[in-house]
Amino acid sequence: MAEPAATFLAEAVHHQWTAFPELSNLCYVHGRPAGSPAATVTVPVRPERAELRVWEGIEMVKVGRAQVWRRTSGAAAPHRYSAASLVRHGLTHEPWPRVWRQVPLRPAYDAVIVGAGIHGLATAYHLAKDHGITKVAVVDRGYVGGGNSGRNTAIVRSNYLTPEGVRFYDRSVKLYEALSAELNFNVMFEQRGHLTLAHNDSSLRTMVWRAEVNKLVGVDSSVIGPEEIKRLVPYLDTSTETRYPILGALYHPPGGTIRHDAVNWGYARAADALGVEIHQGVEVLAISTTGDRVRGVVTSAGEIATPIVVNCTAGHASLLCDMVGVSTPVVTHPLQAAVTEPVKAFLSAVVVSGSLHVYVSQTDRGELVFGASTDPYASYSTRGSLEFTEELASHVLALMPGISKIRLLRQWAGLCDMTPDFSPIMGITPVEGFLLDVGWGTYGFKAGPASGEAMATLVATGKTPELIAAFDLARFAEGRLVGEKGAASVGH
Amino acid sequence: MRPVARRATPTSGRLGPRPGEVIDRARPLRFTFDGRPYLAYEGDTIVSALLAAGESVFSRSFKYHRPRGVLSATFFDPNCTVQVGEEPNVRGAHRRVRNGDVVSAQNVWPSLRYDVKAANQAVGRFLSAGFYYKTFIKPEPLWPAYQQVLKRFAAGGVVGADDPHGYYDHRYAHVDVVVAGGGPAGIAAALGAAEAGAAVLLVEEEPHLGGHLRYGGPEALRLLGELRQELADAKGIEVLTDSVATGRYDGNWIAVHQRSVPGATERLVKVRAGALVVAAGLIERPYVFAGNDLPGVMLSTAAARLVNLYAVRPGTRAVVLSANAEGDAVAALLAAAGVEVAATLDARRAETVVAARGHGHLSSVETSQGRVVEADLLVTATGWTAPTSLLNMAGVRPTYDEAAARFVVGAEPSPGVFATGGLVGDASPEGLVAHGRAVGARAAAAAGCGKGAVLPELSPGPHPALFRSTTHGFVDYSEDVSSKDVFQAAAEGYDSPELAKRYTTATMGPSQGKLELVNFLGVLAEATGRSIGELGTTTWRPPYAPVSLGALAGRPHEPVRYSPIQPYHEAMGAKPLVAAQWIRPDHYGDPDAEVRRVREAVGLIDVTPLGKLLLVGKDTPALLNQLYVNKWSALRVGAVRYGVMCAEDGVVFDDGVCGRLGEDRYLMSTTSSGAGAVWEWVERWLQTAGRHLDVYVTPLTTAYASINVAGPASRTLLSRLVEGVDLAPEAFPYMAVREGSVAGVERCVLWRIGFTGELSYELHVPAGYGLFVWESLLDAGSDLGVGPFGIEAQRIMRLEKGHLIVGQDTDGLTQALGAGLDWLVKLDKADFVGKPELVWQANREDYDRLVALVPTDERTVPPEASQLLGIDGDIVGRITSSRHSPTLRHPICLARLAHHLATPGTVVRIHLPDGRDVPARVAETLAAYDSEGVKLRA
Amino acid sequence: MIQIPCPYCGLRNANEFASTGEVKPRPDVATATPAVWRAYLYDHRNPEGLVTEGWYHRAGCRKFLVVERHTQTNEIRSARPAGVAS
Repeated sequence: MAEPAATFLAEAVHHQWTAFPELSNLCYVHGRPAGSPAATVTVPVRPERAELRVWEGIEMVKVGRAQVWRRTSGAAAPHRYSAASLVRHGLTHEPWPRVWRQVPLRPAYDAVIVGAGIHGLATAYHLAKDHGITKVAVVDRGYVGGGNSGRNTAIVRSNYLTPEGVRFYDRSVKLYEALSAELNFNVMFEQRGHLTLAHNDSSLRTMVWRAEVNKLVGVDSSVIGPEEIKRLVPYLDTSTETRYPILGALYHPPGGTIRHDAVNWGYARAADALGVEIHQGVEVLAISTTGDRVRGVVTSAGEIATPIVVNCTAGHASLLCDMVGVSTPVVTHPLQAAVTEPVKAFLSAVVVSGSLHVYVSQTDRGELVFGASTDPYASYSTRGSLEFTEELASHVLALMPGISKIRLLRQWAGLCDMTPDFSPIMGITPVEGFLLDVGWGTYGFKAGPASGEAMATLVATGKTPELIAAFDLARFAEGRLVGEKGAASVGH
Repeated sequence: MRPVARRATPTSGRLGPRPGEVIDRARPLRFTFDGRPYLAYEGDTIVSALLAAGESVFSRSFKYHRPRGVLSATFFDPNCTVQVGEEPNVRGAHRRVRNGDVVSAQNVWPSLRYDVKAANQAVGRFLSAGFYYKTFIKPEPLWPAYQQVLKRFAAGGVVGADDPHGYYDHRYAHVDVVVAGGGPAGIAAALGAAEAGAAVLLVEEEPHLGGHLRYGGPEALRLLGELRQELADAKGIEVLTDSVATGRYDGNWIAVHQRSVPGATERLVKVRAGALVVAAGLIERPYVFAGNDLPGVMLSTAAARLVNLYAVRPGTRAVVLSANAEGDAVAALLAAAGVEVAATLDARRAETVVAARGHGHLSSVETSQGRVVEADLLVTATGWTAPTSLLNMAGVRPTYDEAAARFVVGAEPSPGVFATGGLVGDASPEGLVAHGRAVGARAAAAAGCGKGAVLPELSPGPHPALFRSTTHGFVDYSEDVSSKDVFQAAAEGYDSPELAKRYTTATMGPSQGKLELVNFLGVLAEATGRSIGELGTTTWRPPYAPVSLGALAGRPHEPVRYSPIQPYHEAMGAKPLVAAQWIRPDHYGDPDAEVRRVREAVGLIDVTPLGKLLLVGKDTPALLNQLYVNKWSALRVGAVRYGVMCAEDGVVFDDGVCGRLGEDRYLMSTTSSGAGAVWEWVERWLQTAGRHLDVYVTPLTTAYASINVAGPASRTLLSRLVEGVDLAPEAFPYMAVREGSVAGVERCVLWRIGFTGELSYELHVPAGYGLFVWESLLDAGSDLGVGPFGIEAQRIMRLEKGHLIVGQDTDGLTQALGAGLDWLVKLDKADFVGKPELVWQANREDYDRLVALVPTDERTVPPEASQLLGIDGDIVGRITSSRHSPTLRHPICLARLAHHLATPGTVVRIHLPDGRDVPARVAETLAAYDSEGVKLRA
Repeated sequence: MIQIPCPYCGLRNANEFASTGEVKPRPDVATATPAVWRAYLYDHRNPEGLVTEGWYHRAGCRKFLVVERHTQTNEIRSARPAGVAS
């Protein structure tokens, strides 16, 4: 019992790890590497190191050895969520602990992340978990997940057009698949299948293009015809009599929907547990630099010294960039969305029509969630418009004529930072220490986990990971655009 | 779980005639509810008729499946949502019964009475707010399985795939003043505005005007009668009832949803108003205590509505909890209507309800003084909420008035936006009328009518702040969120209104917070030790009241464009091709035969959608030089040149030919999909940097029907019909343009160009004569073997000639040199759109090229968009166009290919969608057929 | 729905128009470097405030306009034909 903790590394994906720290000073780890028989590995630990935690679903390096991660900061242990704890709290009425702490702003941090949405929180989480960097502040002038992260239609997919894009979003999907266990927070990822309908030759050709690139990168997508589309979505009008008949669709089974708030809260809770500080209601007013390097941040709650500022402010990226004089191609357009009253479940897949500029999915509660194109002019207003709901309804009913009696309950909007090539802008800028994770347009939420992982690596090591190298800011001045316009749903 | 028994003695029933009743006892109606027959009177709502018949349970709640009865008796009553026929989520306390209605409860199984899912109540303590975030984390497959269960439990009615589509209409209105709300203040505002000469639209949610006056006492009814009379006499006021102003958008663009319209299912009225007056009144708030959702517990306004509007006795023995005069009045009303009022609790003296108890219906009430009173009716009057939605949408932030315990706004909170009535303050009905009238006049003045009026004082009176008793109860009835859940959310750190709302889902149900928000904020304030003012609030979003998709969509307006030759195509059974707004003939049954006809004899294709722009002016060559990549100054009269346009980033934007018809007259053609865009592009240049150029543009795309006559016998055919043009090859060479008459139709434009690669002429005929000329050509050439060919045949032939299609063989990043257009781009021009990028492109080597590929295996036609793979399996390009060539008898392709592989002779790997890889060779030239162009120049 | 004050047609609903984006001065083609040219092509000021942008009255007089609009309130300060100096 007095032996030092051993360190192991384990085989890649789909391990099932469970830790029961409360049982004793020992931490029992059950490992079942993919493709090999079940094995139990015991990790003896010293009593003072009893608060160990093992995270699940991480891609690791070698065969037969397990990594036990050790928390180094003094933050309070996160209370573990589970069905058992639910029962216990139900019986004892013991209060649940806070999801994240409320702490005062410190005078200095190793990194300040601006924006407590999924990108900022995932970056903070990975900084702490993958690199052990915990003296990090995530600041947001609003509440956690109050920006685009709380306003999107929560669709997760990787059926993009360019190999760089597909690889990137696929990484994100893989992280999403393991996220509930990783964060110990049910994010309700339902991989219910994603359909992008083609209504003309040109569109169908683009679907084939996407399917082919997807398959070559190892992502499950294929082009299917009207009969199979009808089988998957019986309420669709697949007849040839419609104004824009459906010729085929890009079918992407791993795509689906997720509970966006849960993802935001899950990352915030996990990051906080590792020592990261989350500061809501704190607005960045200025970024101080010496020459061409970042020195600190001036906020509404005081000044912070920091060498690194990461811009994760989707919808307001330009405003932050203006503070350091960094010029970007970003232009902000509202993206509206709407939800209906609940009706009995009839739609399991996510359905998108590029030609009809609309997408729709149905939540577990029975509500239909709709999205369409961005507003056709630049604006920072999230007020929403009537013409959005009119066009939306008209196009949805062209696809599914039977549902005219369903009522729209609420509309809202987020702000999309659009780029010329519909790909994000990630990485360094001419100002040293000022990093970008912006330009996420209409496709930012699905990218959160992979972005956080990659940006954390950049912050920690100073090197831009291969996965995001093509999305650098310099590509515009150098004429190296990454053309994703054909796959960015209906954003344009 | 025990079933909810039907009571032996109904607590509710019908009363004798009431002075303000809206039912017509002379017109009985029949309907069914869950299969049982019921009677109603015309004017009854579904719920009032059921209550009159002694029913008290209308639904089961969302999560716990608790039986629910009437709460507010309004549209927003969360407990009265039912399915009526094929229509889901009907608000049973608002929808008037129609004869024959088939009504059923939603969200119950097997029935309203014996709902199995009520078992949820037993495990309620474990199903606290956000419980699902804390579980189903592992093993992973359990979550999808639980989601299937959740879906079965989902509240909400049913829609079918083939439900018939109603008739939904849209209407535009332009008025000076819109008044949202037809209570006393709203009616007065409409009258005040109309007096000032304004055109007014008065919108009222209920089927009748009057607001709370309708279910008040004799004085209220008298005042209502006077107002109705004044309204009838006034000019310039249009009244819409059973309608709701549901959204206010930029510039007072207002959406009004008419829920019932003669002759239509529903109508959406889109109003551009000079001014908006919001007179939405006040919504009564429920009170939070244990058992507050039992059937039999309702708001004082619900009791007043039921008694006075529908002559329904809501119970037999009542307890009344009152904090205001309206509550006191209802206690008296109930007593006068024959209800035994067993106790009245005065909340102003700190008397309150601790718990309501009963199984399936209220049976007793525990008071704060420790009494337990037997009762089947508990009426609460604990406060008001201002429905400020429309104002919030206009950017107004209501302030919380502590003394009045509600949010309020000023009468003139924003330019063009006004408020009156309960939203602003409290007064007698006459006082509200006076305020409304003045606000109406001021709104009219803001819209440019009349001189306005002096605004009387109006402010809210004091009211006790009552949100929650000493026990926990429901805060959001439709989401089954209790005050305990709110406390828990706050304790867990979801302590701001937005976070607590999202975590508990409070206010996210069908009434979107109208009955729930302030109680939710009150409880959250209690839980976090802050005041409501400090907490702030969540955002009100449109629509104020839910609007059907049908009403939003209106009638479909999807224009379709046909060429004048369409009747021929239809008669010949051409397969239609949807090309944006145009419907074009794809083929007439056998595209390969059409190709053979063109290559061997002569064929006709209808290319009317081709963009055509007439450019007139001496500076036209300068314009062409600027917009095209090549040179135009030396184009002689009668000559035609091919041109490509790029955007400022050097990306290929459009292509087409342009011919010089006269000294200062040119005819430019564009692709059919680019017709509109190129016209705008030309206009943009001419209105900005080129505004000094003397050029006028006239779009002629639809002024001409365009027919391409192609094949070795095309000259012979035309010689039989064309006059005024010397068709001899020396007189009319390739890439020339002439004007003459065809089949007697004058002023046709003919040019010799060659997309298909054969001797061919493109005729532009005044559109009205298009079909005539087409048929004349077919008649005149029958001995030559003439016949039609469609888009598919044209695609095959252009591919045989290696002609690119912009947007198919190029994409959003293909700059001109990568499209095989090196020969066309004249970089020595001083300026043209795209020049800088093309100069830099010319200095690079590494851009993708456009190549022709010939698959080695003649039987494999690779599908378009198949990817090309390099040695390492990396993607090096893709097939952009692909067909089997009936002329050459092998597959032909165009492809984008990485530069290092683009040399003729290189063998590349095509990866087919079915998984196979096939080799193909890069061809010498893009054209596989007649690469020298001999046939074109015949 | 916002309204654009077209100098030729008066106040019209925005859905009669198409937005053509921020107005940016075109660099001299003869001397522009790639960085300068691509900044012209791609970079945007993207202010949360007044922006000078182009609108085209597609369903009306078909004139190109230069408009000053506030990107948060959508208030329009001015609108003039594109060819006219401000």
